[in-house]
Amino acid sequence: MSELRRRPWAWVVLIGVLAVVGIFLAVVDISMGGKWPTPFAEAMVGPTLVQQDSGKAVTLRFDRSRVGEKIIFAPPFAGFDPISPYQALRAFLTNGAGLILLALAALVAFPTRARSAVERLEARHGVEIALGAGIVMVLLTLAATTLLRFTLLFLGVVPLVLLVALVAALFGVACISLAIGRLLHRRLGLATAHPLVAALAGALVVFDLAVIPYAGVFALAAVAMAGLGLAVVTRFGSSGGWTFVDLNF
Amino acid sequence: MISCPRVRVLLEAYADGDLAADDAARVRAHLSTCADCRRQHDQAISLPFRLRALSSPAPRASLVGDVMRAVGAERARYRRSWTLLVPEAVLAAFILWYLSGFDGLSSIASGVFGDLLSLGSGSLPHLPPVDVVLLVALIALVVVAAFHLSILVRLAAARPAHE
Repeated sequence: MSELRRRPWAWVVLIGVLAVVGIFLAVVDISMGGKWPTPFAEAMVGPTLVQQDSGKAVTLRFDRSRVGEKIIFAPPFAGFDPISPYQALRAFLTNGAGLILLALAALVAFPTRARSAVERLEARHGVEIALGAGIVMVLLTLAATTLLRFTLLFLGVVPLVLLVALVAALFGVACISLAIGRLLHRRLGLATAHPLVAALAGALVVFDLAVIPYAGVFALAAVAMAGLGLAVVTRFGSSGGWTFVDLNF
Repeated sequence: MISCPRVRVLLEAYADGDLAADDAARVRAHLSTCADCRRQHDQAISLPFRLRALSSPAPRASLVGDVMRAVGAERARYRRSWTLLVPEAVLAAFILWYLSGFDGLSSIASGVFGDLLSLGSGSLPHLPPVDVVLLVALIALVVVAAFHLSILVRLAAARPAHE
């Protein structure tokens, strides 16, 4: 353990291992095929093969090399889809990179708020409270948007409510990524690194969780709900939190 | 000339500035000549010594009860924060059943965007007729969830960030 403390490159090794694990899990996830609940997970890893409609030319403007059609292997077991490492790499470079970039952008844009939220998450029962609040927020959002659906005046508010919920969940996932990175730093006794490096490792853990075959969709939903709950209970990481003091004048 | 035992008695009042002017002058004169009493005086005016000399205030009789009540209320709030999931789950299950499951829910969501697009073309959206039972269930779910959220927010605020 003390060896790791002295070696800053341990972070590089960790990040590399997490990336490789993510790609490996994505390979397995893709070859598992479209059985329930993997249709949801396919949103993360994308389609294995390009579907060509008969008699209709498909423009592959974004995939001119078509390497993916060459790097594909027969499944070792019956009932599984072909093994497509190229598609897994593509999934990592699209969804994984997107998740990481959004998480890091949120932390760079709102560092003080992120710190406040992460401190709340690291407090006793912080994870349970965030997850509970996330579940409640999902129920609240579904009920409220369904109610708004039956009105003419507030119909236009529905996309706004959903957008705020999405932004809150993204901010929360960014804070969870940082918290996971800090946890790895403490548990593995790694050398002190830039907080964004820790957040990068944490975001990779979130991506790895999301591409676990079958369980990934539930893990991602749990992380997203905990993120939403964390953003709500901390009022987007506000140091003041929720208060009615200003209304009591 | 004032004696050493008398100075030791007056020393604390002297350090506090509570002595009469003539007594204070006599003590000051003695301290200028007596090394032992000066050492006692230096010790008496040092902060740790004076803090130790302070008597601890007696805790109020209700202190233990107040602490236990505060801790108990937080525990009860924490328990309630999970038990409230039961009525929420019941209401959500009822609403899902009423809307014919996730298909009904997703048709509502997709209908919103269709209606909003129709607003852009100048025609008023078609609002589906809705049963009062469903509306009551939705409002009840919103109210229970909002109350639940307020408990969780208070719980999160009550936990110190670093323990």
